[in-house]
Amino acid sequence: MRRITLRGLLARKLRLALTALAIVLGVTFVSGTLVLGDTLNRTLGDLVGSVYQHVSFEIRGKAAFNEKTPQGVTGTADRKPVPESIAAEVRRLPGVADVFGSVGGYAQFVAPDGSSIDDGAGKNLGFAYDPNSQLSPFRLVAGRAPTTAHDVVIDKATATKYHFALGDPIRVLLPDGQSTFTITGIVTFGDSNTLAGDTLAGFEQTTAQALFNSRGHYDSINVLAAPGADNVQLQEAISRLLPTGVEVVSGQAVANELTDAVDNELSFLSTALLIFALISLFVGGFTIFNTFTITVGQRTRELALLRVVGASRRQLMRSVLGEAALTGLAASLIGLGLGVLAALGLKALLGAFGISLPSAPLVFQARTAIVAIAVGVGVTVVSAIVPARRAVRVPPVAALVEHSEDQPAATPRRRIVAGVVLGLVGLVALIAGVSGANLTLVGVGSGAMLVARALLARLVARPLADVLGRPLRMFGTPGKLGRQNSMRNPGRTAQTAAALMIGIGLVSTIAVLGASLSTSAADQVDSAVTADYLVTSSGGFSRSVPATVSGLPGVTATTAVYRGQFEFGNSLSSLAAVTPAGLARTVNLHMVDGSGTPALAAGRLLVDASTASSDHLHVGSVVPVRFAQTGAGTMTVGGIYKTNPLIGSFVTGEQFFLAHFDTPLPSGVLVKVTRGTPGFQARLNRRLAAYPNLTIQTRAQFESQQKASINQLLGLIYVLLALAVMIALIGIVNTLMLSVFERTREIGLLRAVGMRRGQVRAMVRSESVIVALFGAVLGVVVGTGIGLALASALRNNGVTNLSVPVPSLIAFVILSALLGLLAATWPARRAANLDVLAAIASQ
Amino acid sequence: MVATQQAATLPAARAVELTKVYGTGDAAVRALDGVSLELERGHFTAVMGPSGSGKSTLMHCMAGLDRPTAGHAFIGEHELDGLDDADLTDLRRDRIGFVFQSFNLVPMLTAGENITLPADLAGASVEREWFDALVRQLGIVDRLEHRPSELSGGQQQRVACARALIGRPELIFADEPTGNLDSNTSTEVLGFLRDAVSEHGQSIVMVTHDPLAAAYADRVVFLADGSVAGEIRSPSADAVLAQMKKLGR
Repeated sequence: MRRITLRGLLARKLRLALTALAIVLGVTFVSGTLVLGDTLNRTLGDLVGSVYQHVSFEIRGKAAFNEKTPQGVTGTADRKPVPESIAAEVRRLPGVADVFGSVGGYAQFVAPDGSSIDDGAGKNLGFAYDPNSQLSPFRLVAGRAPTTAHDVVIDKATATKYHFALGDPIRVLLPDGQSTFTITGIVTFGDSNTLAGDTLAGFEQTTAQALFNSRGHYDSINVLAAPGADNVQLQEAISRLLPTGVEVVSGQAVANELTDAVDNELSFLSTALLIFALISLFVGGFTIFNTFTITVGQRTRELALLRVVGASRRQLMRSVLGEAALTGLAASLIGLGLGVLAALGLKALLGAFGISLPSAPLVFQARTAIVAIAVGVGVTVVSAIVPARRAVRVPPVAALVEHSEDQPAATPRRRIVAGVVLGLVGLVALIAGVSGANLTLVGVGSGAMLVARALLARLVARPLADVLGRPLRMFGTPGKLGRQNSMRNPGRTAQTAAALMIGIGLVSTIAVLGASLSTSAADQVDSAVTADYLVTSSGGFSRSVPATVSGLPGVTATTAVYRGQFEFGNSLSSLAAVTPAGLARTVNLHMVDGSGTPALAAGRLLVDASTASSDHLHVGSVVPVRFAQTGAGTMTVGGIYKTNPLIGSFVTGEQFFLAHFDTPLPSGVLVKVTRGTPGFQARLNRRLAAYPNLTIQTRAQFESQQKASINQLLGLIYVLLALAVMIALIGIVNTLMLSVFERTREIGLLRAVGMRRGQVRAMVRSESVIVALFGAVLGVVVGTGIGLALASALRNNGVTNLSVPVPSLIAFVILSALLGLLAATWPARRAANLDVLAAIASQ
Repeated sequence: MVATQQAATLPAARAVELTKVYGTGDAAVRALDGVSLELERGHFTAVMGPSGSGKSTLMHCMAGLDRPTAGHAFIGEHELDGLDDADLTDLRRDRIGFVFQSFNLVPMLTAGENITLPADLAGASVEREWFDALVRQLGIVDRLEHRPSELSGGQQQRVACARALIGRPELIFADEPTGNLDSNTSTEVLGFLRDAVSEHGQSIVMVTHDPLAAAYADRVVFLADGSVAGEIRSPSADAVLAQMKKLGR
């Protein structure tokens, strides 16, 4: 029996290759994602490890919030600084070899051409450079350490990319303006040219303290124990010196915290990619299911003959499943190999969409191989179970009677019942999810409905193919025949189209969600912003900017915007702060209750309507809050405004904010000018030319930028979903090939009585286009529904408007038709090139 | 009727020294070994011979379904050698009718659509009166809307005959048209073919190994080992059987 399985496989090499391709692509995606994830983890993990390689202890302020804030390697914003004097005291302790107080903050380089240097997602870090200590993670690879207030050392990546040399002047944007420094040295971060895409500017210690508003204290103090010192005793000795609110932890503990933080951020990315990979595999499963169903159908006589000569049902089952397992295994192994390439491709793809990741040798773990093969083989075998069961039900007598492979079978009642039940369950979940704004329920409901639709698709296959194929009659008999071929086995058409339906369905869902997000964002800007110009930057920018802007002639009002984190009740939340003075002319808060500007000036807290209602707040409520720098306290609610995700849930006045945050940077300045100030934007640009990191936009430009960033994310998701659509197309190619094979005699007959090769091709293409359109139309309909459901479930998360991007959806359908045409290329050629005589003679 | 009126000086089809070799070297098989044959216009010709005599190969080469290794084949005045696939296809569509042993009809088309298929493929229309006359004569008027799977074997073959006759082709090739039919339906189908020749001057060539079927023809040509091995004009079943026996069957 094993030999029959193997022979069967070899006899159907072509079909096998096509089936396997679907799995190859899916497994490639899965293993590529795993390899990429492992690589990033290892890279960043190593990097973090190297920072704390020599650090025995870190002395730092205790974490202000219970909830962990997402923090980078040097992110200490939620911790109080440590007094400078502690460093000197610790240094005197026996067993301490070295001590260094570190200070860090915003420092962004300006390239020789005057543009600000901001490479991808990295931060622009300034820090105190430690010239002597073994504690420093930085290695000087050229020049010398900074010794004066005019010296700076820069990271090798920036130096290489922008051709900075030792002794060159370099302009640096800083929290309180900007300065030009002289490059005295080039540093690497451990062995890496840069720290995960961040740019690095190292200053002399006291200079750094001055630049980053840290005179008299440090962000943290690193301690190196002398060789042979008892670390436990030393840690106790250090902690006895510390005032309350300051703690000492081992270097290892800090490294672990940071590694966890890195893992957390990366796992989100890996999970997202993995979901897309699994979608591809799921769609691949449809293709396999379909192929095995058709081949089992075509092999009915062969299977029956095996039964006649004594093969048991169990043996047949094993034979079919064995074939699936071998196919899956071969495909998984190929996919695994390609996965390494895919990891590089995924990285390049993410890079193209602005998510830059550090480069490092790829990490290939045994787990990747195990998961990829298990998933690949698993999907293949599971997809083949139903066809295999069909195979074992072939009665031996089928070997002896004339068999027609191409007869439409009735939809089994069980299947209809299952489809309807699943659809209803999905609908209920969807409705419950939408009304309760519960995303999980919406997801479950959508998934159930998608599968239900796939189960029931064959019921609508004939009528829908009939309608969709009607226009093809203008292509004469071939078009008519193509249409009829697509209707002759509705089950097959539905199965083939189902894979595409899921792909296009997801694309449509994303399109609807994206369009809704986009219109919502635009609407939020329209309703909240009344300023004419917005000055923003990707990080924060210098505190000198607001004053510079407000001095321009024509400016009637400016509002600086700050953002920071605070603990509201027990949860960490984002707090916005604005200058109260010009607020009324730049921002429309749509106050529901209380006052806007006066409350802000008085340091009160404004909350949005949905928070107010969920937390039962009203004007005059006193709420407990906690800030990283100033600790716990209370705030009084001064007003309630209409919910607007652009503004956020909490707003307070600038004065209050500055008093509770350590050297915050403004994140935006809103500018209102007198009407008819020609050339203002040009003047604003000139005045702010010294700050190349700023983006200066009109309100319309700001709005379109918001849309553009949503569209960019959409683009990335489209590309990731494209693979699923591609696999669905492979499914169409596969089915068409099998159908052509099955209809060899019929095609021979048509050729004999005068069908030209071109007409044969047109016939196969027509069928393909109908199948593709079938999948696309159902996909768009279902996807639009699910997209609207998701969008309404997200109404509390910023999706305030629903929008259906009709042109995009029409484009998907047209594109699917074209892809269907493309999918038909090979099968059509094969059909057209059939040897007429052989076709007529074939049995 | 145009074909018959345009003076019957030319035969409906001709084979000149047709040779067909399958395979090469030692494995080479000469299926046709220099066959020359004229099929007269307005005649019903039967081609007979034992299995492997080359009768099917001869048919396929003369009908433009297969290309001979050497020699020439003509349909009317058209020589087939020089034609490419598209021209051959058009020639089959416009000047030749086919009736096969089985699988004669396209399953997804109705009987009526099957009859007009060649014309539809050419983008031409059929003569309505001729169509009506044919289907009436064949007794399939009430079967036109049915799919082949809903027709009996005899009905299917009658539809195939109608498809072959509708375009008044220069020649109809019938390849064992009664091979899958019982004797009653065989008689019917052969009767129609006979009538088409007698009443409408249609030229028909039929490959068969059934002496009873061959007896319907005006002339029987015998093939053996790739060569013409005699012929009988106005054959009777007995005469055909006797000749076949002589050929070693």
